[in-house]
Amino acid sequence: MGFVAPLLLGALAVLAIPVLLHLIQREKKRVVEFPSLMFLRRIPYQSVRRRRIRHWALLMLRLAALALIVAAFARPFFRRDTLAAAAQQGARETVILVDNSYSMEYGSRWTRAQAAARDAINGLSAGDRASLVLFSSGAEVAVRSTSDRGRLTSALAAASVGPGATRFAPALKLAGSLLAESPLPRREVVLISDFQRRGWEQTPGRDDVRLPDKTVVTPVAVGDASSVNLSVTPVTLQRTRFENQDRVTVSGGVANHSASAARVTLSLDLNGQQIQSLPASVEPNGTASVTFAPFTIASRNMRATVRLPADALARDNVFHFVVSPGEPVRTVVVSRPGAERESLYLLRALSIGDTPRVEITERTSETLSDNDLRLAGVVILNDVPVADTLADRLARFVISGGGLLFSSGPHASWPATRADVLPGLPAQIVDRTSGASARLGALEYSHPVFELFRAPRSGDFSSARFYGYRAIDKPVAQVLARYDEGTPALMDRKAGEGRVLLWTSTIDLGWNDLPLKPVFLPFVHTLVRYLSDYAEAPSSQMVGQIVPAPRTSRATTSRGATIALAPSGARLTLGGEDGAIELAEQGFYEVRTQGAGPDSAIVLASNVDLTESDLTAMDPRELVAAVIGRPAAGPNGFAEPRPTEEAQAQAQRLWWYLLVAGGLLLAAETLLSNRLTGVS
Amino acid sequence: MTMRNTLQSGAIPGARFVDPVVLARIGNLELVARSVVDGFINGMHRSPYFGASVDFAEHRGYTPGDDIRRVDWKLFARTDRFYVKEYEADSNSNFAVLLDVSKSMGFGSAGITKLDYAKILTGCLTYMVHRQRDRVGLVTFDSAIVEHVPPSAKHMETVLHVLERSQPSKAGELRAPLHKLAEHFGRRGVLVLVSDLYEDPEVVFDAVSRLRFRGHDLIVFHVLDPAEIDFPYDEASAFQDLESGEQIPIVPEALKAKYRELVRAHIDALTTKFAELRIDYALLNTAQPLDHALFNYLSMRERISRVR
Repeated sequence: MGFVAPLLLGALAVLAIPVLLHLIQREKKRVVEFPSLMFLRRIPYQSVRRRRIRHWALLMLRLAALALIVAAFARPFFRRDTLAAAAQQGARETVILVDNSYSMEYGSRWTRAQAAARDAINGLSAGDRASLVLFSSGAEVAVRSTSDRGRLTSALAAASVGPGATRFAPALKLAGSLLAESPLPRREVVLISDFQRRGWEQTPGRDDVRLPDKTVVTPVAVGDASSVNLSVTPVTLQRTRFENQDRVTVSGGVANHSASAARVTLSLDLNGQQIQSLPASVEPNGTASVTFAPFTIASRNMRATVRLPADALARDNVFHFVVSPGEPVRTVVVSRPGAERESLYLLRALSIGDTPRVEITERTSETLSDNDLRLAGVVILNDVPVADTLADRLARFVISGGGLLFSSGPHASWPATRADVLPGLPAQIVDRTSGASARLGALEYSHPVFELFRAPRSGDFSSARFYGYRAIDKPVAQVLARYDEGTPALMDRKAGEGRVLLWTSTIDLGWNDLPLKPVFLPFVHTLVRYLSDYAEAPSSQMVGQIVPAPRTSRATTSRGATIALAPSGARLTLGGEDGAIELAEQGFYEVRTQGAGPDSAIVLASNVDLTESDLTAMDPRELVAAVIGRPAAGPNGFAEPRPTEEAQAQAQRLWWYLLVAGGLLLAAETLLSNRLTGVS
Repeated sequence: MTMRNTLQSGAIPGARFVDPVVLARIGNLELVARSVVDGFINGMHRSPYFGASVDFAEHRGYTPGDDIRRVDWKLFARTDRFYVKEYEADSNSNFAVLLDVSKSMGFGSAGITKLDYAKILTGCLTYMVHRQRDRVGLVTFDSAIVEHVPPSAKHMETVLHVLERSQPSKAGELRAPLHKLAEHFGRRGVLVLVSDLYEDPEVVFDAVSRLRFRGHDLIVFHVLDPAEIDFPYDEASAFQDLESGEQIPIVPEALKAKYRELVRAHIDALTTKFAELRIDYALLNTAQPLDHALFNYLSMRERISRVR
């Protein structure tokens, strides 16, 4: 028997108040210490006895009437076996979810999980169907809805623990879709896991997980009551430059996920050889960090690993990363012959800074060679008249992925035949030397060029004065900045794989005093970074990430297929530069383009998700309640199917009888009370 | 006027009264005694001396064996007969306090327990008597004798020390310890019994009468807490006997009047019986200033002196 509104039963407590008061005062009375009961004892006992209830029948009638009314409001119902039996009849569709995240390697968890899954498979009746799903960060259907126990068992035997982290939501969503497709009347999910709390709390979209109605969720916890685990923490790299060489200082750490302190030794491996080791003491449930001595980055793609001695969970005891010398952005600044001095501010600004380091090549329009363009990432034309041939070469440069900044001072020109590259053609000169000078007005702060200056007090462009600029014919591109009277100041256009920015004034002193303003230096650096599509390569990735195939250098002429060599030795063909690699293993991936030579290879470090190292378990019933949208009320955490509305209404009809009975009792109480009053 | 009425009338011209609760906060019992006694004596404006050996009583005819130094030669000169002088007391008297330290004395509802009140009272009396160069002693008892300080002129400090460390620990009884003491005190003296007298009046008389019959001057201070007299309880509760631990349910409203009546009858019976035995009896309410007790004590001594 149950109640629709069981909380209302709390009102029954009111009935107990007079009785309780009587009992409390009688049995749990206040004790007063008194020197002697000599006199009190002499007083006849009858005088100290409390008042007695005289009309027990009346009291019981009143209490019973009130109890019945309260019970009626609580809407009692019977769980009829017939209804339950009907819900339990028929074939069953079962989805067996087996957690194969790397935390299952701890102790004998995986063995227990396989045994539990085998039990679930063996528990299938004739006509039942089951699917086997292995899940960690993602979920994978190992066997889709079959009644063949042999297939299920063999798939289970072939399954192994992977490097992923526990994430319940994808698995439960997959289970939901598998169950929704099934025509069978009964649906069940058997969830076998160590139920790490982080696997549920850190699952995005977990609130959206809902299983179909009447789905029974059976959690099987295979975790350990207590666990001891140490793990490394992600490293931080501090780069310095010393005698034209990059040096890096590695800071690694260790996290202790247990209640006892530990003393461990962290070692740093470089290209497979241990170069340093440092001791660290770590408090219970704490972390400690060590900083290794800096080392020189002698070559590209140096494979480094911070390592802890192996323990019960070994995968989280290594952290791989890759260090390479910083790649400069090769920039060619092109001036008019004899006007090299007009790029002074620009060159000085570009030579400062190392994120990225800008390697500058100065050329004139006459000395700019094809080799310069082949090596360059960015070309800046500072008020240069461009002839047709140069325009063609620059157009090819841009289309192949280069970045071009066209600064249009009084001498700049661009042939109309190649107008398909530039955002617009420089037209007449706008002279603002008389009257008020122009200022930059609207800036497109959402664009990467100006995003840096978006926040308040992050750079003031309006203080710069512009005395001249070029009007633009046929603007065909996005305008990033305009002067106060609306003429575009900076325009952006994508051409082929490259980009072109058109600055309609001089980029150095000449027509404006922007180079004298504090925003100039970050501005030109942002321009170069944007044009070169610069992004600092991450030193490490995480298992499960999908990484776009790394871009090879523009200097590489080959455009063959891209091959990735996984840590296990497997070869993955990515099919050109548009491909992507899913990092499914822990270790170093080597990506190379066929025919491009060994120097073009790129190494990616793939690490397990270290949040999995925290083996703290959650109550499976909490997860079940969240998934099925109601508390797991059944025995052993089983969720029970909901009865239909009709069955509910039928089962809840009892309240009406209780209410009538309560009313009748009250009537009887009135009669009895009147009679007793009359008698007394 | 009965002694109880004297207590309740309260006002004594010129006397300075000190709140017992305040006194109880003073840790040094000697300091307390000195404060109370000195203030009281100054306020009384009369000599508190009693039992002094310099008081002349009567002349008696010389009999062989009398010390010839006690012959009143001036009278012999006038009458040509030998008379010796008799004095009220020929030596310093013994003074001992019999202090009840049974568990019931640990009760206190007015900020001070009966035992603390009794300790201060005892301290004051002892101090005062000590100043008369009388010998002071102390006996504490519950169902048996707990501490015994024989009367001595040098035992003032000891008495105060024993007083300070006395704590209620056991159930009390009057008869056995007092009978034992009656055997013990061979030399007559002044005995002050301080107790809450939770015994039937007959038992109390039986207990103290032996002391009286041995010739001791006996003064009984009946120390009660106001809650024991007035029974100010309202809520129905279980009342637990401090000594036996027995509990009985009590509805105070129903028996408050009856209780007061029984207490009054008890006090009246004690008053009457003690008067018959020529034992001085005073009821002390711990809510009232201690000076009352001293005043009553000295009044009684004065009356005893006159009677003698």
